Amino acid sequence: METTLLLNTSLLLTLAIILTPTLLLPVSKTSSNSPTTITRTVKTAFLISLVPMTLFMLSGTESITSYWEWKFTTNFKIPLSFKMDQYSMMFFPIALFVTWSILQFATWYMASEPHITKFFFYLLTFLIAMLILTIANNMFLLFIGWEGVGMMSFLLIGWWQGRAEANTAALQAVLYNRIGDIGLILSMAWLASTMNTWEMQQAPLPTQTPTLPLLGLILAATGKSAQFGLHPWLPAAMEGPTPVSALLHSSTMVVAGIFLLIRTHPLLANNPTALTLCLCLGALSTLFAATCALTQNDIKKIIAFSTSSQLGLMMVTIGLNLPQLAFLHISTHAFFKAMLFLCSGTIIHSLNGEQDIRKMGGLQKMLPTTTSCLTIGNLALMGTPFLAGFYSKDLIIESLNTSYLNTWALLLTLLATSFTATYSLRMTLLVQTGFPRTPTNPPTNENNPMITNPITRLALGSILAGLLITSYITPTKTPPMTMPTTTKTAAVIATALGIALAMELSTMTHTLTYPKQNPHLNFSSSLGYFNPLMHRPNTTNLLNSGQKIASHLIDLSWYKKMGPEGLTDLQLMAIKTSTTLHTGLIKTYLGSFALSILLILSTQT
Amino acid sequence: MSFMHLSFYSAFALSSLGLAFHRTHLISALLCLESMMLSMYIALSIWPIENQAPSFTLMPMLMLTFSACEAGAGLAMLVASTRTHGSDHLHNLNLLQC
Repeated sequence: METTLLLNTSLLLTLAIILTPTLLLPVSKTSSNSPTTITRTVKTAFLISLVPMTLFMLSGTESITSYWEWKFTTNFKIPLSFKMDQYSMMFFPIALFVTWSILQFATWYMASEPHITKFFFYLLTFLIAMLILTIANNMFLLFIGWEGVGMMSFLLIGWWQGRAEANTAALQAVLYNRIGDIGLILSMAWLASTMNTWEMQQAPLPTQTPTLPLLGLILAATGKSAQFGLHPWLPAAMEGPTPVSALLHSSTMVVAGIFLLIRTHPLLANNPTALTLCLCLGALSTLFAATCALTQNDIKKIIAFSTSSQLGLMMVTIGLNLPQLAFLHISTHAFFKAMLFLCSGTIIHSLNGEQDIRKMGGLQKMLPTTTSCLTIGNLALMGTPFLAGFYSKDLIIESLNTSYLNTWALLLTLLATSFTATYSLRMTLLVQTGFPRTPTNPPTNENNPMITNPITRLALGSILAGLLITSYITPTKTPPMTMPTTTKTAAVIATALGIALAMELSTMTHTLTYPKQNPHLNFSSSLGYFNPLMHRPNTTNLLNSGQKIASHLIDLSWYKKMGPEGLTDLQLMAIKTSTTLHTGLIKTYLGSFALSILLILSTQT
Repeated sequence: MSFMHLSFYSAFALSSLGLAFHRTHLISALLCLESMMLSMYIALSIWPIENQAPSFTLMPMLMLTFSACEAGAGLAMLVASTRTHGSDHLHNLNLLQC
């Protein structure tokens, strides 16, 4: 049986199914494009995308197809080519599954929204862009997908346009992503000028790749995946509706940067400088985000910082030269992070818009399904043995411990792991247990199957995904098999320490002592002072230097003082004094004649 | 310096200063010009008498002729300026176009 034919056909069918609502849009504006239709479309696409995934799992079939070639110049051709390797074929079903669940949830969450169809269209367009990015074989298609997801992120974060904070957050997201795009374009330009192609298979060099294009790729990943330095947009992006946060800023868009590094890992593998940079940047990001998450009070912000921290962990994995493990973490992370966001969405709606965890409590009795899935998600995030997160996170930390690398990066990652446990447990305890701190009689209701079905489906995925993926995908690099017991259990010990710390702190909070301000609390709750330190001074300095160079230096000083106008001023001074002599009156001339005669006579005799 | 030299120089200098620093009317400038001419005529007349050289006696006559022409020309310009500007005030005589 022609497996590649079946593979290509089914994948193209998936893409075609997803594109169908967009094609039907100009035809009919009636209920044929309603949210339920779009949800059903994505569900169908998910079921069909299982075919290529099973084909790959059973036979290892991969393929690259190219359809049409854009003859840009005579010796630089850009084909429209799709690469179906393990990464794209595994990502398709996972992304479609998560999107299907989120869309189903969003039909309940955004039910009171008048423009709900437009919302679903935006989500669908985002999904198309993300899938283009995943399946791209050359940097051109990847760039199209990259820009597409950035644009849709902007539109979706600022969905509630009347809110000033939402507009600011959307603008912040676009600006930070743009800074990353500079890096991407830099590396694309280097690729085009050095390799004369944008195809990614033709890229690797036998010798060491120069550091500059790799720096560009790392900058692109920093911008898109919110590593430290270009990270403030991710917590601010929580201004968008919860389905947006669940889809974009937890599972799919923010992993685009890491995905780029996974795709181009042959280039990175030769350059130890770039790998070390990834390692240290990822370690710093994960610790910084985990520190900030410790004192957040908004449930969505805690989950956002958690996402940022896990992205840092993925960057660390790239720095260890283990792209497959990073992809495994992307896949498992998608399940439990999306589920955490959906649970938080249910909680927010049930408490009539309350997002502060200090005003929640005792929800375990009121929302049993949601809180059980919240617990499952938090346990998976912490890396509880044999849930989904364990398979990726534990492997990463084992590889960290057994590799020849920077001790500082290792320490930071372990500290971040224990912080992860701490803030997850804090969130769980404050939200679910204890006495309710909500106002009386909130409209809690989770009886709608449109809420419970997606969340339980994702919970099932959070439990089983790790096991399934690792069973069926053969690793390309042998994982470390032998290590001392302490090293093997390092992740679990760090997590347990974090849990113990959180339990201790929770007993402290119940004694109603007001927390005194100390530098560490201030650092954590003001997000490391990054925003006020960077946003104002950078822009002020940039604009000031622009004014100095353009206006003060060139216009005012060269033209006015020293150049043409300065000459004018000098002449004017002399002219003004000699105007009185140039009146044209005979009297003046005769007077000067007499004066000069007198002078001559006095000098002669 | 002899007495004649002093008187001649001072008469000429005074007349030229009068030419240069007149106040209002053009005709006073012309008068000073005439007085310059007069002092020169007297000096030129006394010069051959002083030096006992009768052949230079023609010089003052030539000078007188030419100064008469010049005075005539000056008066014609005075009349022309009075005809165009209405008076012979000196601030009318402006070389600037505007």
